[in-house]
Amino acid sequence: MLVVGLIVYPIYRAVWLSFTDKLVGYPERFVGLRNYIYLANDDAFHAVVRNSFVFTVSSVALKILTGLGMALVLHATWRWRNFFRGLMLLPWITSTVIVALTWRWMFDSFPGRGFFNSVLLDAGLLSRPLAFMATPEGAMLAVVIANWWRGFPFFGVSYLAGMQSIPGELYEAASVDGAGSWRRFWHITLPGLKHVIIVTTLLTFIFTINDFNIIYVMTRGGPGTATQVFATYSYEVAFNQLRWGRGVTISIFAVPLLVAGIALVSRYLLRERTA
Amino acid sequence: MKPWKVATVLGLAAFVLIVLVPFWWIATMSFKTYEQIQFAQSIYVPRPFTWENYTSLWLETRFPLWFRNSVVTAVVVTIITTVIACLSGYAVARLRFPGREVVATLILVLYLIPPALLFIPLYRVLAELGATNSLIALFLAYPTFTVPFCTWLLIGFFKALPAELEEAALVDGATRPQALVRVLLPLAAPGIVASAIFAFTLSWNEFLYALIFITDETAITVPVGLNLLIYGDVFHWGQLMAASVITTVPVVALYMFIHRWMVEGLAAGSVKG
Repeated sequence: MLVVGLIVYPIYRAVWLSFTDKLVGYPERFVGLRNYIYLANDDAFHAVVRNSFVFTVSSVALKILTGLGMALVLHATWRWRNFFRGLMLLPWITSTVIVALTWRWMFDSFPGRGFFNSVLLDAGLLSRPLAFMATPEGAMLAVVIANWWRGFPFFGVSYLAGMQSIPGELYEAASVDGAGSWRRFWHITLPGLKHVIIVTTLLTFIFTINDFNIIYVMTRGGPGTATQVFATYSYEVAFNQLRWGRGVTISIFAVPLLVAGIALVSRYLLRERTA
Repeated sequence: MKPWKVATVLGLAAFVLIVLVPFWWIATMSFKTYEQIQFAQSIYVPRPFTWENYTSLWLETRFPLWFRNSVVTAVVVTIITTVIACLSGYAVARLRFPGREVVATLILVLYLIPPALLFIPLYRVLAELGATNSLIALFLAYPTFTVPFCTWLLIGFFKALPAELEEAALVDGATRPQALVRVLLPLAAPGIVASAIFAFTLSWNEFLYALIFITDETAITVPVGLNLLIYGDVFHWGQLMAASVITTVPVVALYMFIHRWMVEGLAAGSVKG
């Protein structure tokens, strides 16, 4: 009950706050929809919406593809499969703050610290260090890669479990009927994984569209607003500009999307539980 | 070798490299001297090898204090979570009461609400309770995500246990609490240990709430402290790397212990991505 209270009460407060012009240190004043109207016409907020989608869609797409690759490779591994599976899960159990710091250093423009610059300079492929994270595209690429690196093992392991539950007879029958490996993958493996692919994609979508840690630690939303997303912008407005009403409104903009995602994924997971 | 074996080995090698290179980069940097990092010397393997980043991190920064705060928070939250999740997981899995399905759905939905949505109002609630700026804020806030998650996990474990065992205990004159403690909990022990380790890891890694609810530098946890180190003193790169290594090791150790259960939990599609 206490836990429910600690979640439900804040949600109620969030909705109320979004209708006020609460500034830290001043009493809240009801302003109706003014926060919503302000944000709807705010260029910075438009960039935030765009960035959130670019960040989420590209990392989730990368995770699905590499997750499938990882599952196929592990499925074909004939020895020490559990060992390799455990090894590949390491990024996923590492704290996101450490993942973000790690990739910040991997991409650092300073050769002694940045992995890519060190290696490329050492190999003579670069004549001077590249400042990857100083450009808007480079910074977005860096945060997507960090997010992908932490998340793909979860996809890989889930898909592997899905593949292992597909009965072997299906493949044998298909081989007898003359189906090649590509057709077996397309007509047996992928349909067999449909459920797990949908669930992992929805779950990850919900958490990625609201990601804070990786972006805050790597870029603070910069350069400019190039990597600013819902959560980091909401933090910026609420805790640096001290406009709490507007800060909360930013996160509320993502709610309809979340409700849809949560409703879908709950249906899938509950059906699985009762089945 | 057959072609598919060659492809598998190459694929495995590629994935192992992708996973290990970043870890290896951090680990080697933590054993390099300031000069080695600054002038990009011995980039692949630190020569000479030094422990100075670890000793200076431990003796000259507040890292030991942050580490202690993280341990205390994770342990307290794990205990609170395990007790609540065992009771509520048991209730949903076994007791017949109206609205059971609704409760199960609610638990799942609560777990899916991202912290990024809750942090501002939760901060105000905790501030009104006078709980900010101390670890108590985290003791209260972390169960909002650990309890729904661990309950969801334990419902599955409890449902998988045969009900006959418990009914036998009830027929033999045991009360329900006795049946729970003596019969069911020992059987569910692997699940409970796994869920406790999840609670520990989630608290250990949490960043957003810790960043917002606590500003006093003596009360912050490791992830927030790391973030301070990076902006506080830009030149202590080696120390930062050492701190990252020290923070990652306990989680990896715990994880090796539960790897098998964790993968089973994952397979049930019940874990955050």
